[in-house]
Amino acid sequence: MTLSLTELAACFEGVIPSILCTVGADGTPNISYLSHVTRLDDEHVGLSDQFFSKTARNIRENPRAALLVVNPHDGAQYRLDLQYCETVGSGPVFERMAADLRATSAQVGMTDVMRLRGVAIHRVLGLRAVRSPLAAAPPEAWRGSALPRMAAVVDAFADRTELGEIVDAALDALEAAFRHGATMILLHDPARDCFVTLGSRGYGRTGIGADVLPGEGLIGLSGKEGRAIRVSDASRLRRFGAAVEASSEQENRTRSVALPSLPGAMSQIALPMATQGRIRGVLFLESPKRLAFSAEDEAALALIARQLAAAIALSEADAAEAAPDAPIPRRPSEVASPHIRVVHHAHDDSVFIEHDYLIKGVPGRILIHMLEAFLSAGQVDFSNREIRTDRALRLPGLKDNLETRLLLLRRRLEDKNAPIRLLRLSRGRIRLHVAGYPIVISDRKSGAQ
Amino acid sequence: MASGLGMVLDEGLASFLEEPVMIIVGTQADGYLPEIARAAGAVLEADRAALHLMVSAWQWPETIANLRANRRITATFSRPADYETYQLKGTVTAIAPPTLEQQARATRYLAEIGEVLAGFGLAPEISAPWRVARDLLALRFVPEAVFVQTPGATAGQKR
Ligand SMILES: Cc1cc2nc3c(=O)[nH]c(=O)nc-3n(C[C@H](O)[C@H](O)[C@H](O)COP(=O)(O)O)c2cc1C
Repeated sequence: MTLSLTELAACFEGVIPSILCTVGADGTPNISYLSHVTRLDDEHVGLSDQFFSKTARNIRENPRAALLVVNPHDGAQYRLDLQYCETVGSGPVFERMAADLRATSAQVGMTDVMRLRGVAIHRVLGLRAVRSPLAAAPPEAWRGSALPRMAAVVDAFADRTELGEIVDAALDALEAAFRHGATMILLHDPARDCFVTLGSRGYGRTGIGADVLPGEGLIGLSGKEGRAIRVSDASRLRRFGAAVEASSEQENRTRSVALPSLPGAMSQIALPMATQGRIRGVLFLESPKRLAFSAEDEAALALIARQLAAAIALSEADAAEAAPDAPIPRRPSEVASPHIRVVHHAHDDSVFIEHDYLIKGVPGRILIHMLEAFLSAGQVDFSNREIRTDRALRLPGLKDNLETRLLLLRRRLEDKNAPIRLLRLSRGRIRLHVAGYPIVISDRKSGAQ
Repeated sequence: MASGLGMVLDEGLASFLEEPVMIIVGTQADGYLPEIARAAGAVLEADRAALHLMVSAWQWPETIANLRANRRITATFSRPADYETYQLKGTVTAIAPPTLEQQARATRYLAEIGEVLAGFGLAPEISAPWRVARDLLALRFVPEAVFVQTPGATAGQKR
């Protein structure tokens, strides 16, 4: 072989269907399309058996097969001579391909139809380029190396200690290094078992506070399975929620924030932010270009996501140390300033400020707690430690992600341009700033504390 | 023989085959070694007993050699818009340079399929290596069986 399978990496991205020809014992050829072919090592490929019928019979009768694969960058065609080895229905090779298929079919909305029956493993006996009237582009020539880009991104956030700074630095550096289109960082909220958007770049709005359920779309699937998932050509795929227009009325009605989306996105990649065996979130990038993320980019982004997870875990652990200050109580004056109407619904801890939906869950509970302390004792400065140990708040245990919740609350207040803000004083300390006099209306049963 | 086989292709299927659909061709060399080619369009005979597939002998010489040796052919036609797909199996009864009309049909087909693919975001430069008209030959293909190959539960079954 003069060409090697490694050089054909782009042909196995699942963008352009491959072609498989087999011949039965009676000499009758059979030819069919295959959307998923993976390179297993330098000498083996795996074919996705979802609907093999005549193909399955033929490869058992006569193990020689012909495969044609296409490089999606320049359309160049390559012919592989194959020898059938075996079909596997479990194990890492099978799991990997099954997960890839779930990712694509979840997007096309045909999860059941696309089930993988087995991976037909073949040995590659020969490999040649098919004659073309056009000169093939040198493989991947236009791409810079992903390694320097990765170093730049990790450098940008690795020395930050505060969660908000880490998230912002990572988002800015990713945008500068990869120049792809749009980015989101979502963190896992164990209390509600969902992924919550903590920051984004490249969308018309931030989408901070938007939830994604585990298993839902590319992001949810990546977070649930702890795997990188990449789509290189979304032209045929139906986009989830593409038509969802974000508005305050919609937020108020649904008590949720809509996930932002990039119109006309062609490439998407979702990477689990995992460290120490725990999935802490998902890093998501999308681009209006086909094939925006190569296999090498995927590896680089996967490492960035892991580094990000470690930085976030460290910032959560460090922040827990701050001790409470002795507050200087100054009760607010009811007459001096405009009233701010704050409504709290106890069943989901959703909070509305001036009739606009703000947030729900633990961050909602924390805000109400702070406002009540402000009203009763004039407290404006709060430490992480006192919030964490306050029994009334019922925080979900040691791994409570308090920093994440406070950041989410702070950013959401900024996003909504609310008359109530949280300012970060120093590590583990925050100040409540209220431009007026809050009237807190809660349907929480009295005596619950 | 021809009249019985004419029933293989009904009118609906016949017109599908002449649409701008992707066409791939399978043959076998001695020792049952499979080979792959793409076709540059199909033209049906009036009674639907046979069709003519245009294939570049310059790009796919192995396929032409196989057919000269053993005549066995299979071709799969797939519509990019919805992946509706059919496979025809049969024999090649003649290999000849295309008539002027067949040549014109091939030229039109190659332009049309390029446009269809462009509609799905595939730039014409990328599909160009699959749309080759150099040294076309017309293969007279007499189909004996049709299979549904659309991805799904019935994929691979006889039609
Ligand atoms: C674009 C396209 C992609 C396909 N991808 C696959 C695939 O990845 N796996 C599969 O088993 N069948 C796939 N199919 C269906 C097969 O081509 C074929 O119909 C099926 O394997 C049964 O046919 P057989 O009797 O030729 O084996 C695809 C069909 C099309 C049109």
